[in-house]
Amino acid sequence: MTNDAESKPSRALALLRPLTRWLTPAVLIEIGVIALLFMIGFVISENFRTVDNVVNIFEQTTGLAFVALGQTVVILSGGIDLSLDANIALTSSLLSGVVNGRAELAAPMIAAVLTIGLTIGIVNGALILVLRVHPLIVTLAVAAIVQGITLLYTLMPIGGMPDGFDMLAFGRVFGIPIGAAFSVFCFAVVAFVLAYLRPGRQIFALGGEPAAARLVGVPVRRVILFVYGLSGLLASLTGIYLVSRLGVGNPTGDTNYNLASITPVVLGGTPLTGGRGGVLGTLLGVWLVQTLNNVLNFLDISTFYQWMIQGLIIIAAVSIFIDKRRRAA
Amino acid sequence: MSTAASATPRFRAPGAGAFIERNGLFVFCLVLTIGAALFAPGFRSPNNLQNVLTNAAPLGVVVLGQCLVILVRGFDLSVASVMATAAVIATSFDETTNWSVVSILAVSLLMALVVGSVNGYLVTRRKVSPFLATLAMMIVLQGVRFAWTKGAASGRVPELIRVVGSQAVYGIPINLLLLLVLALIVGITLQRTTFGRKVYMVGGNPRAAELIGINVERVTFSCYVLSSALAAVGGLVLVGYVGSVDNWVGRGYELNSIIATVMGGVSLAGGRGTVFGALVGAFVLTEIFNIALLLGFPVQFQWVVKGVVILLAVAVYLVGQRSR
Amino acid sequence: MSGTWRTGMLSVTAISKSFPGVKSLQDVDFTAASGEIHALVGENGAGKSTLIKIISGAYVPDQGEIELDGRKVAWTSPREAQGAGIHVIYQELVLFPELTVAENVFINDQPLTRFGIIDHRLMESRADDALRRLGARIDVRRRVRELTVADQQMVEIARALVGSVKVLILDEPTAVISGREVDLLFDRLVALRTAGVAIIYISHRLEEIFRIADQVTVLKDGVRVATRPVKEVNRDQLISLMVGRALSDVFPPRRPLRNDAPILLRAEGISVGTRVKNVSLTLRAGEIVGLAGLVGSGRTELVQAIFGGVPFDAGKVEIEGTVFTRTSPRSSIDAGVGLLTEDRKGEGLLMHLGVAANIVAPRLGEIARGPFIDLGAENKIGADEIARFSIAASGPQALVASLSGGSQQKLLFSRWVRACRRVLLLDEPTRGVDVGAKVEIYRIIRQLADAGFAILMISSELLEIVGMCDRTLVMCEGAITGELTGPAITEEAIMTLALPV
Repeated sequence: MTNDAESKPSRALALLRPLTRWLTPAVLIEIGVIALLFMIGFVISENFRTVDNVVNIFEQTTGLAFVALGQTVVILSGGIDLSLDANIALTSSLLSGVVNGRAELAAPMIAAVLTIGLTIGIVNGALILVLRVHPLIVTLAVAAIVQGITLLYTLMPIGGMPDGFDMLAFGRVFGIPIGAAFSVFCFAVVAFVLAYLRPGRQIFALGGEPAAARLVGVPVRRVILFVYGLSGLLASLTGIYLVSRLGVGNPTGDTNYNLASITPVVLGGTPLTGGRGGVLGTLLGVWLVQTLNNVLNFLDISTFYQWMIQGLIIIAAVSIFIDKRRRAA
Repeated sequence: MSTAASATPRFRAPGAGAFIERNGLFVFCLVLTIGAALFAPGFRSPNNLQNVLTNAAPLGVVVLGQCLVILVRGFDLSVASVMATAAVIATSFDETTNWSVVSILAVSLLMALVVGSVNGYLVTRRKVSPFLATLAMMIVLQGVRFAWTKGAASGRVPELIRVVGSQAVYGIPINLLLLLVLALIVGITLQRTTFGRKVYMVGGNPRAAELIGINVERVTFSCYVLSSALAAVGGLVLVGYVGSVDNWVGRGYELNSIIATVMGGVSLAGGRGTVFGALVGAFVLTEIFNIALLLGFPVQFQWVVKGVVILLAVAVYLVGQRSR
Repeated sequence: MSGTWRTGMLSVTAISKSFPGVKSLQDVDFTAASGEIHALVGENGAGKSTLIKIISGAYVPDQGEIELDGRKVAWTSPREAQGAGIHVIYQELVLFPELTVAENVFINDQPLTRFGIIDHRLMESRADDALRRLGARIDVRRRVRELTVADQQMVEIARALVGSVKVLILDEPTAVISGREVDLLFDRLVALRTAGVAIIYISHRLEEIFRIADQVTVLKDGVRVATRPVKEVNRDQLISLMVGRALSDVFPPRRPLRNDAPILLRAEGISVGTRVKNVSLTLRAGEIVGLAGLVGSGRTELVQAIFGGVPFDAGKVEIEGTVFTRTSPRSSIDAGVGLLTEDRKGEGLLMHLGVAANIVAPRLGEIARGPFIDLGAENKIGADEIARFSIAASGPQALVASLSGGSQQKLLFSRWVRACRRVLLLDEPTRGVDVGAKVEIYRIIRQLADAGFAILMISSELLEIVGMCDRTLVMCEGAITGELTGPAITEEAIMTLALPV
């Protein structure tokens, strides 16, 4: 069977093979567009060319990165998570509200808030399993409940964090933003799980052919709870990041991450129906969106027009890409 | 390629289980209404009932359009933006120009037709997912609207629109009458015309419909155009009711309309459901908010109530609606 | 041999299962002994599928017991049954198109390295082994969606064989493969039998049962009618047990061909990518032309291209004198051509609509008054057609999903006979249809031909082609390799032309 004459290097190469699957057309297009945006940026403004600005862009991707990662995994499994804004509202408000400047409460509250995020996710998953209804509806309903709880706790941003907490968001190590680097690390971990661990393959199976997955013996319950739990946990990370960045939580739920988290996923080549795609595309999608925002800022385009342009570019990018495959996502 | 069928049986279900499956929402609605009449202070007053119906009317109009799009396996996230843009257009022309109401309405409608056409084009010809296409349009419209109003919308609501939106005739709110007329038109179209039949065929099995000779793209495109048109009407009705305009008219309506339609039995998988069901869904949603208010819950608690009731209503469908 | 098998004996006793409105199985006993191939036959709707799903854990019986190796078991999910050694190869493929072949073969049991991560290399080499032994040459690193249907079936079979198997159940495994692949599959089954596996084999193809099975059980209307050793029963007896009546002549008599019959359809130089290469054919009124070939030879693509369901890259189609350089379903239907697709659920039926709605669908104009639909007219048409084609439905408004396979197929015939006037393209018209309905369908086809239709019939059942067709074209790898007429149409002649050189 196996040929012992095969050398170690080629065996290592074989282990790396799943990685080559990641260089999809979508990924390549994204890289191209990011490069294009950078070129535009370089041309239009001196300030864009600074290292500081580039690092800033990277640093600003952190919040979106976490939720987009969670959303990717959920979408791969064939679902969707629209409870992100509510999750962030609750976790960020509780964090800043309870800690209220007292340093000794910071660490335990972070742990508590992560647990809450995870719990919201698991509740999502459990309801989807029990009620057997489209995740769109379930996560929206859970979002409504969580948002209500948040607003009952506080209507306005309250509390605050001890000094130095903003290091999570703004802190740099060797010039690299901690938060953003951690987000990339999270991407790497999830990517590994998807490619090399059984639950990863099961997620794709479930997303691709849900009925077949059950017949074949894929542990549907475990997979669903895992993906939604992960999404909830990552959303609370964004909540923590927001508190670190703004100094206080945001209970209004208007952070718009529900929809914003899906754009990088689709730009990255993961269809909304699931079963296919990956996290590298999403990560690049996040960077693409952030770079675009940054360039538009430098072009001094008012936020209103920025919205328009973002929308138009999404349409253009996605419609060209999908047209090649002639497949409705 | 075809893959394994699910484990569900292929027979129509008679008996109590089926009754609940097909009529679950109506049963729930009945229970809710009776419960509210008994326990919610002030629910039974004719004033309150009229309030609920009037509140439900704009949502109902939007739901009619959303119903069409969901029937052809899509959904329309741009409706709220269309509502707001229509409202902004209607209120922008009044002071500075002497345009008649009719012309203003025509411009609003034209805007909606353009938006709907773009949505329809993206979904049918470019094969963009409805989610992305309508989301992107929503954002684009938002930008246009804010840029046009320079961030703050203002203006007087034209008299005609205000009358339709908030007045009543023989005790019946005019906007409700408008809704009923529109509902009848859309409902009859779906059930009794060839176009309506095609909608159900395209939504039920697009490939089979194609092989039967139906122009799937044209049918789908039409549904998106109609949805935007109805959303514009809904926006005008809403702004007529409220009496003033801002850039966020109809905020939340995109999700509310989808929830109401799906609750009403229109499956996201396409090809199933009726306008009647969707309207009951809209009514139930509005009723829920009303009840929460009457019960004295703080506004914030409405959210919790909304979420819980949606889950409950959906749980009643255990047999019917399956995940994707 | 890959995988290990433990000997086992499976028996089910007094199994009953009902679904709302229908009693699917009633008091059925069944035993699959180890080291034996036990065939399960019966018309569609007889309950075979339900029995299998109960054995495999996908359904839970209302009553009755299952015993494995003498011990009672009560599974609640397919996963549990698989753990106990029961593997099913379904008729409809249970594959994941976006995953690779290797991943599909090891969908639940990926081999792991020391550290607990998936050992892709080992997985690929073992999948490769398993497939080679089935005679399939497939690159295990490709995604399943890129494979032909026949290759996909091979992957499915390989998956069942790499686990540890006590009881192997196959549901119409040769529906999409033929010839050499069937031989190799049967070799594997015989090897498994020798090793002590209990094999349950469902098929409509009685020749196969006589070839490979030891025992045969007949189900009819949810009841076990008989269990006999295969040696002690012949084909006619089996059919009569299944159908409840003796069948002497399955195929209606053929009429002599007339060479002066008008040409209704002519296709010239049709090419579709790499699937169809420069094919030309003519169809005359009154004749039934067969289109034979191995699965994957391009027959479906050809017929879809002629009809307009998929575009063709080159060629043209002439229908009664009108030339079309591009076809579309609408233009074909208007010109009088209809297509009965291979996949009736995916491409043919509108499952949530009623019988009448499905019948009138291509010609809504017939029941329309202005923009409105005349529901009364629609119902009348529905009732007429139900009677004419003996469709077993409760009424014109009955949901299509409640019909048996045979009735659904007859419904589609009714639709296309109404909608088109000249030419009928049939793609596997008796697939998944029980014997009784098959006979009716053969009669319908012959009647249509006698009435002046030109019929092109794709079939993978050679007996059908031999029995029905006046003329047969054979395709292989996208091209027409030969044409047989009249008495020259024999199974051997067809196979000779159908196999690649």
